[in-house]
Amino acid sequence: MKKSSLLQGTLDLLLLRILELGPNHGWGISQRLQQMSKDGLKTSQGSLYPALHRLELRGEVKSEMTPSDNNRRARMYTITAAGRKRLNKETQTWNAFALSMGRVLGTNE
Amino acid sequence: MITRLIAFARGLLRRRQIDDEIAEEMRDHLEREIELHRSQGASLDEARRMALRDLGGLTQTIEATRDIRATWFDSFGRDLKYAARVLQRSPRFTATALALLILGTGSATAILSVAYAVLVRPLSYPNADRLVFLTEKDGAGVAWPNFEDWRARATSFDGLAGSLADAMIMTSSDTPRRFESRSVTSSFFRVLGVAPLRGRLFDDADARPDAPPTVVVSHAFWTRELGQRREAIGQPISFSGKPFQVIGVLPPDFRFMTPAGVYRLLEPQVAANYRGMQSRNTRTNFYIVGRVRSGISLAAAKLEMETIHAALALGTSASAKDWAIQFSTLAERIVGNMAATLAVLAGAVTLLLLITCVNLAGLLLTRSAARADEFRIRAAIGGSRWHLIRQLLVEQGVLVSLGGVFGAVAGALILYGLIRVAPRDLPRLDEIHLDFTLMSGITILSCLIAFVFGVVPVIRMSSAADQGLIARSGRSTTRSGVWLRSGLMIGEVALATVLLSGSGLMVHTMLRLARTSPGFDPQNVQSVMFSLQGAAWPDEKKQTFYPAIVERLRAVPGVEDAAITYSLPILGSNWWNVFMIGGTTAEHWTAVGEFPNAGMVPVTAGYFEMLKIPLLKGRYFDGSETPASPPVAIINSRLAKRYWPNGDAIGKQIQQGYGNAPYGPWRTIVGVVGDIKQEGVDREVSQQVFLPAVQQPRTTMFAVARTRGPVASAAIEAAIHDLDRTIPVFNDRTIEQVMSEASSRRRVAMVVLTVFGGVALLLAAIGVYGVIAQGVAERRREIGVRMALGATGAQVIGLFLRHGLVVIAVGIPIGVAAALVAVRSLKSLVFGIGVTDPATLGAVGVVLVCVALVASYLPARSAARTDPLNALRAE
Repeated sequence: MKKSSLLQGTLDLLLLRILELGPNHGWGISQRLQQMSKDGLKTSQGSLYPALHRLELRGEVKSEMTPSDNNRRARMYTITAAGRKRLNKETQTWNAFALSMGRVLGTNE
Repeated sequence: MITRLIAFARGLLRRRQIDDEIAEEMRDHLEREIELHRSQGASLDEARRMALRDLGGLTQTIEATRDIRATWFDSFGRDLKYAARVLQRSPRFTATALALLILGTGSATAILSVAYAVLVRPLSYPNADRLVFLTEKDGAGVAWPNFEDWRARATSFDGLAGSLADAMIMTSSDTPRRFESRSVTSSFFRVLGVAPLRGRLFDDADARPDAPPTVVVSHAFWTRELGQRREAIGQPISFSGKPFQVIGVLPPDFRFMTPAGVYRLLEPQVAANYRGMQSRNTRTNFYIVGRVRSGISLAAAKLEMETIHAALALGTSASAKDWAIQFSTLAERIVGNMAATLAVLAGAVTLLLLITCVNLAGLLLTRSAARADEFRIRAAIGGSRWHLIRQLLVEQGVLVSLGGVFGAVAGALILYGLIRVAPRDLPRLDEIHLDFTLMSGITILSCLIAFVFGVVPVIRMSSAADQGLIARSGRSTTRSGVWLRSGLMIGEVALATVLLSGSGLMVHTMLRLARTSPGFDPQNVQSVMFSLQGAAWPDEKKQTFYPAIVERLRAVPGVEDAAITYSLPILGSNWWNVFMIGGTTAEHWTAVGEFPNAGMVPVTAGYFEMLKIPLLKGRYFDGSETPASPPVAIINSRLAKRYWPNGDAIGKQIQQGYGNAPYGPWRTIVGVVGDIKQEGVDREVSQQVFLPAVQQPRTTMFAVARTRGPVASAAIEAAIHDLDRTIPVFNDRTIEQVMSEASSRRRVAMVVLTVFGGVALLLAAIGVYGVIAQGVAERRREIGVRMALGATGAQVIGLFLRHGLVVIAVGIPIGVAAALVAVRSLKSLVFGIGVTDPATLGAVGVVLVCVALVASYLPARSAARTDPLNALRAE
């Protein structure tokens, strides 16, 4: 992962993590993200959807229009095997990175 | 990878749906957000506002999401849209470029397709390059005994076969019908390497004297006459009252020289001395094909044949001149003199293609120069060079593909038209179709030109743009660009000179031909052929029948006069023979080196009067000639001058044949008539001897009638059938048709060359005009300054005219020099003038100079009208 796309990669990682818990639609994902990060992370919707579609193009997520309540249809996203693989790999990378950062910044107990 | 491909495909196929789905997804998100806020106690309006704020601009989000889905295809689509806009914005450029492409590729594809099919594509026989064609002197045909000697002695061939074109009268039905046929030796199909579609072809057993008569039929005959019935093979068909067993059908693509429906064996006919073929002195249209053994070169085979033939000549008394042998490949023979015409047309169309390409190049170059500022600005504000090039490629791709598609359509149309007007004797006419490979080649060539002249200068420009950019925009073209364009124009003027020289020569030739008198009055002369064939028509019956036909024809309404002849004027002599002159010896003529010879033309009384051939001495045939009366002959002026230069031909005696092999009685010359162009308007007058048809009957004759206005040939045919329903009547045509057909090769060449020449001239004029006008536009400010400083209009005109003069002075001499070489290919087409006819070439030069001068003068004059103030202010 190139450093310049670190931020983008981070969002991808978060989205994959949320979808690992189960299929969800865009709004659900954003709610889940807020909830899981205890309101610490909030993505702008303007970057959420492009990111989801990009993941789909990369084959790490698949989606389907499914009917939801009150006559609407929502796009339901599901993580794919490729997505899980990337999630695993990048979670490790991230953890190693966070650990190193913590060591350098001296925030580790 | 596969998911990506699917997503990509979905993107292509369902763009609209994806857009809708994205919008729907956003709406769903929005509504859920609103519900959330509402559930937290906000009012509807408030909830909506908060949701929209959170979403951070709905449209931008949708756009951003769509952009993710956007692929190169979308940006290609954008480029395409932009290209369409650019091309639409300059309709004149687009129309001109398209017209050039369509014209160039269309005509080139059509004409080169014809040339390829006729000249280049191998004949459809296996190993056709091993097939050769043999004939004796001047292509007059081979004597059968000579053929037998060749076949016995030659070792270079897998086989030699002979054939001659003739006709057969089918008598199976009520009215007899005539079919073109070919009499062939039993080895014929074997030598050509043809396999039957059905049944079998001839073998040597069929040629035995006791074998039952057999025929092989063409696919067309089998289809039309036998209904493609398999049972028809093995069944007899009656020809001239004699049953022939059909043994096989030829494949549909089989063709050999002139088309024929029925093939029969020649050996049994020669055994019955068909056409007097048993004699070594008889030359009929009997020609030989041979298949040269593999491993033996054609040159070696030719040498062997010449040696054999020379050895044969030693055993006879005839002069060596009569004993030449002609050896050519079968392909050469089939294409024959059409090769020269087609080569000329192919050359012309290649020149035209070059000119259109040069013009297109000039056009693109000018356009690149004109858009230089646009490109520089785009480069300066960050457009990548790749992006620029891609944009241009797309633009030119659009242009070239449109041009290619329409060019192909135009090519197909032109080809269709060409086939419609093609001379009927164009060999391999039915093999011609639009050649896809050629078309692709030509289109690729146009693409390359578009790339080289449209894109390359921009690449150079944009790399140069890294330095000076916008600062240089005041002077947008470099000098090298001007020189390149001038060079292109010089080439164009030169090419146009070559093409126009060709068309000038052809126009001049046609004028000459039209002014050449055929020696008789060809207007309103209708002819049909009829055949008095078989045992039902002994000579005595023919002799009484000829006058009866003439009488009956004269009674047809609209017919002024009628006669019968063995050879129709213009169409050539059907019978050529040597003759002896009373009081001379064969030894005398052997010493001279050439026997007296002439076209022998049996005619009925009244033939000369009907055709309005003048009598110079003595008398015409007057109807007093009968089979029993003293044998007489009339000769033409040319023959009289040759052998009786003192003008005392009347009363002299002649006899056909050699001294020891005479044919017919001694005849007294009773008249000398004016020369007519028997062999063709463009040919030398030949020596002719006219015989009374009643004294020299022939099987197949022409009934000729001079009519008042057009009379249907059907009326003439009906008149003959009034006398006898069983006589086959065929090949109706007027002498004017014969003349027109005879010149059709030239006419096609003239029309094509003239159209191409005209287009080339127009293109050259546009090209010169364009370059000068471009120069004027670029130097507008300079002109302003000059005029402000006191230059006169004439001086300004001179400035630009000089440029035009350079193009003329360099281009036309180059063109004339090239033309002098190129027009040599017209040698067989030009008539009455030399191929380097100075008057024609001079006229072409003058026309080109004038056109180029006008083309340079017009923009120069507009320059002289420049208002210096406006010119300076425009900067």
